[in-house]
Order: sequence, then structure tokens, then C-alpha cells
Amino acid sequence: MSKIIIIPSSNQLNNDCDGYIIGINGLSVNLPIYFEVEEAISFIRKVKDNNQEIFVALNKNMHNDDLPFLEKVLIKLNDLKVNGILYYDLSIFNISKRLKLSNELVWAQEHLTTNYLTCNFWYERGVNYVYVASEITTDEILEIRQNTKMKLMVPIFGYLPMFVSKRHLVKNYLNYFNLEDNSKINYITKKDNEYPIIDNELGTTVYSSHILNGIKEVPKMKDIDYLILNSFNTNEIDFNEVIKMFKKVDANNVVKYDNKINQTFKTNHGFLYEETIYKVKNNE
Amino acid sequence: MNNKMNIIKKPELLAPAGDIERLKIALLYGADAVYIGGSMYSLRANAINFSIDEIKESVEFAHNLGKKIYVTVNIILHNEEIDLLVDYLKELDSVGVDAIIVSDPTVVSLAKENTNLEIHISTQQSTINYESMQFWKNTGATRVVMGREVTKEELVEIKNKVDIEIECFIHGAMCASYSGRCVLSNFFTKRDSNRGGCSQICRWNFDLLTEDKEPLAGEKEFTFCTKDLSMLKYIPDMIDIGISSLKIEGRMRSIYYIATVVNIYRKVIDEYCSNPENYSYNEKYEKILRNCANRDSVPQFFNNIYDSSCQYYNGREEVSNQDFLGIILDYDVNTKMATIQQRNYFKVGDKIEIFGPNINIIDVTIDKIWDDNNNEIDIVRHPKQIVKFRIDEQVYPNDLIRVKK
Repeated sequence: MSKIIIIPSSNQLNNDCDGYIIGINGLSVNLPIYFEVEEAISFIRKVKDNNQEIFVALNKNMHNDDLPFLEKVLIKLNDLKVNGILYYDLSIFNISKRLKLSNELVWAQEHLTTNYLTCNFWYERGVNYVYVASEITTDEILEIRQNTKMKLMVPIFGYLPMFVSKRHLVKNYLNYFNLEDNSKINYITKKDNEYPIIDNELGTTVYSSHILNGIKEVPKMKDIDYLILNSFNTNEIDFNEVIKMFKKVDANNVVKYDNKINQTFKTNHGFLYEETIYKVKNNE
Repeated sequence: MNNKMNIIKKPELLAPAGDIERLKIALLYGADAVYIGGSMYSLRANAINFSIDEIKESVEFAHNLGKKIYVTVNIILHNEEIDLLVDYLKELDSVGVDAIIVSDPTVVSLAKENTNLEIHISTQQSTINYESMQFWKNTGATRVVMGREVTKEELVEIKNKVDIEIECFIHGAMCASYSGRCVLSNFFTKRDSNRGGCSQICRWNFDLLTEDKEPLAGEKEFTFCTKDLSMLKYIPDMIDIGISSLKIEGRMRSIYYIATVVNIYRKVIDEYCSNPENYSYNEKYEKILRNCANRDSVPQFFNNIYDSSCQYYNGREEVSNQDFLGIILDYDVNTKMATIQQRNYFKVGDKIEIFGPNINIIDVTIDKIWDDNNNEIDIVRHPKQIVKFRIDEQVYPNDLIRVKK
């Protein structure tokens, strides 16, 4: 049975989930909240005392100037023996190997984790976890499952990040047109869809207009090690209900839970049933 | 600068090509190497990508000039693409390709195991620090195409800390995101950004709302759209840093664009490297590039500037360039008559410029024009019409004619 891992919006523990993915301020992107290092240490200890798992996403694109702080954080997390470090930037792999750190690593290059062969590339280099891209189908995920020994993390609920930039795209627009706004979250709209857009110190992230609801896929995904629920931009009470449903879902209640989630949130199935077009013009 | 006399190696000028015609133009106009997409595994699905036979022809053409061909194998693989990959890499190796440009580390691994291909890491990996550079060096890559977000100071530090070739974009369109971290096309058009389907959603306009869903409307709509990149002023800095390869973006660009941009950067690189102490920036080159691209361009992250001055809010789209008038097909040194294939309207009395890899810019005012039946005509208005007119200074096949501004 898959473990349920949540990406929380607060430092409150939730006893219905099996673990958490958190971020560190300055080293992480695309998360609802970012912990200062001391806050993270405190939270990690609480989680471990509660016998839950804790993963830390250090998933920003690292510049040279980030590396000294990154190295310190990696050493600290190694001492704390977290369950895994999610990495986008390959500096994390390189530093971990150079310093012989023992923390597990999670290959989490967001949209690039799309096939089993590359999973095995990392597995052969000691990386035992992969955070699978949200742009592939259930069938592709299951094919990856069959062809790698890595532990799979699959995003199954929540808004999906679809764009990350170093540029401050909202602030730039406001500055250019002399507009004032102190929103912590903005939205861009197209064809009646609203896409959350966050512009913070590290740049800009744009999210999907709909919440991915993959609960109907859970029975098929029994061999997936971790299912990831993202609380970003959701109501805490509603999200806690979602955690309970994902934890208890089976063939008997899946339709009921699916309907309930769809009634509560604006949802779709992301790419779980839909292949994106791989278009190459034929030369002939 | 202290190291001006220490230019050890002139950097490679690397140009794009979407087909063989553009590839030949790029090489003839001064590119040291050209990168192209094969019919599989390439990130520009809309470019007319090259078959293996065409890649072979391209390699032979380039090698005869002492130049190189790189092939992009830079899609992010899905399971279904795995089976044919090794055979394809072997084919590229067998036709003499000089290097492949890859994003997916497993392609690095497979290429090392099965071929003798040199491996360059695509900008799609957004490599912007020395630890990641070291990772790629350890995997066997010989070169990394830097992420566009890297600054001058970061390049210096990376160059000092890791002994691997650095390739940087110097001209062309920019991603608004970190390369590899945008799947807007997937969500908006179901086309896979990381497998060649980028639909340039970043150039669309959107309405921007506050957290309370109230409109935030400037005079123009919100967009991610960025100005283009131009590093013309900073080529000497890049050479001084020791950048190995200076890369022009745009496998889908026209032959005129490629010829013009390659020609200008060729001149700048050669002028600086031949006499760094006395090099001076040529404003005219900047003007030519600006006219050619029809889009504003800025150095962007090299100077660590990525504010609103780098964004496009005026709704301006790239417009068809009418400056390109024709291509020289032949020149008779005795009669001084040039045979030209028309690409845009021109007429008797027009002031034109002719440029090419073997000539300085030649100014001409068109006196008389003859069609291919030797009838005198005033206006050349038909696409690809063959005409002749007199040019006193010698020109060569593949020289190009543009409007004099």
C-alpha cells in the first residue's frame, strides 16, 4: 500500500499522513511554505518523534553563491537523518557524493523525471528515490514502476507547478505600469481559467488552473511507494479531509471519494489519462 | 584588462540551422560549427529536421571546410523513446557527427557506452554553478551549454573551478523560465515543451488579478514575454573569460537572419582576437543586427539585470523582415553583371548593400535591371525571380543583398 506524503502549508503535524515534504527558505521553490533552517530542524524532530517520514525539497536552481549555504544545510540534514533530500539541481548530488553524506537522495527534476532508463541511471549512482513528473500518464508511471528498483513518489493531488523563472514577472509588470499590489498570490487568466502565480524572492512560479485529483488511480497504484498530496492554495479543513480519503480509499469507496473531491475543488486528471503530443515533422 | 594579451584560443562561433541551405550559409558566413536537429530526439519539432543522409551530407560539407556539426539529441525521454535511442546514437556516430547535445543524463551514459561521440550538455539542464559542472564533467561530457541565468561573475568562477568547455548563448530568443522548468505548452496546448512541442505560451497575453481576484491592469496586458538576447557588446568579455563556444539561437530562423547574425559576430570575434588592445565597439554592427531581428535585445542575466527593462509589454510580435532583397547566384567578372534570385521587392534606383563571407559591405544604387530573358525591367516583384544588374566590385555566389538603411 502506498504511503501518503503531504506538502504542508503549516508546521502542524497531521496524524493521517505518513510523512511530509518541506522546503528551506532560500533553497526551495514551488512549495506553500518555506522553513528557516532552525524551524526546519524543529519540525523534522517533531515529525520523527511522531514516527512519520520527512523529506526536504532543496529544489531550486542553485547559483554559485547558493552553494556554501546549501552545503551547510546538507550536512545539517545529514546529521538529522531525514528520509530523503529532493534535488533538482545536480550540485546536490555532487556535494553529497563529495562529502560522502549518507542521506537518501530523491531525483526530483520536476518535468524531467519521465522514463525508467534515467531512473536507473540515477539508481546505479546510489539515488534510491524518484519524484515522478506530473506530465506523464498512469500507464507510463506503472511502466516506470515495472522497470526500476527506485522508490517512486507520484504527485496525485494538488495544483501542479508548470513554470519556474528567476525573473520577477509580477513585480516587473507592476513596476513597469506603476501599479501597486501586495498580494501574496496572484492569478493570471485565460479562457475562464485562473492560474495561481507567485512572485517571491527567488522568482516566479505559475501553477495549473485545476487541482489534480488522481484518487481514482490509487487502486492501480498500489505498488507506488509514495503518493504526494500538495496543500498549496487549499483550505486546511478541506485538505485534511482529502488526506483521510486518500488514506482510506479502496475499490468500494473510490467513486464516492472522487465525487466528493470534485465537488469541493476545481479538479481535473492532469495528464494521467492524456499523453502530450510529441510532434516531429516528417522529412518525407 | 590584464589578460588581453593572453587570448590562447579564439572561441568557436556556433550557429543554428533548420535545413541544409541554412547550414551551408551559416558555415560559409563564418560559423565554426553548426548545430542541427535530427529527425528524432530533437527539441525543435517545428524545424525541418535532418535525416541521417542529410546529416551525413552536412558533416561532409562542414569537414571539407574544417568545421564541425553537432546534433541535438536533447528531448527529455519518455519510456516509448528508449528502444530506438542506441541505434540512433550509433548512426550519428557512423556518419561522423562531431558531438551530440543532450539533456537527459542517460543519453550521456548510453553514448559513452556505445559510441565515440563527444557529448555536450544542453541548456535544458539549466546548469548555472560549478558543482553541477563538475557533475557533468564526471559523467564524461566535454562541454556544457550554460543556463541563460548565469552572470559574468559566475562564469569566471565556474571557469576557474572546473576544467570543462563552456558554451554560452550570445544571440536570439530567451526562455522566460529556467530552461526545462516550463511545461506551459503541455497545459495550454497539450504539446510537450520538453519533447520539441514548445508553443511559446510565454508570448501570450493574460489578465493579471490580485489575490482577491481584482484586475491589475496596466496599459498593456500581462505577459511573460522577454526581449531577445544580444551579447554583441560583451563578446570581448566572454573571450577574456575563456568561453569555448559562442552560440546563436534559432534553428527555425531564415537564411538572411543566420547569414547576417553569423557575419556580424564573426567580424567582432575576429576583430577583437586579432588586436584586443585596440579593439573598439562598432555601433554599425549593432544597427544591422537590430534591423535584422526586428525585436529589442538586451544582455539580460550576464549583467545580472532581469527587471522590467528585459520584458516585452508592447504587444509587438516579430514581423516579417523585408530588408532581405536577394541572393547572388553568379557573377561575371568580365561584364560585372551579377545574377540574383529575388527574396523581396526592389526596383531601379534603390540603394542596397551586399554582404558576404568574402567581401566587405558593398554599397550599390541599382541603375538598370534585366530579367532572365534580358528584357530591361524597373521592378522586381516576383518571389524568387531571377534578374541581373551591374555591380562594379566583385561579389560571389551566396552573397546576400539587403536594403541600405
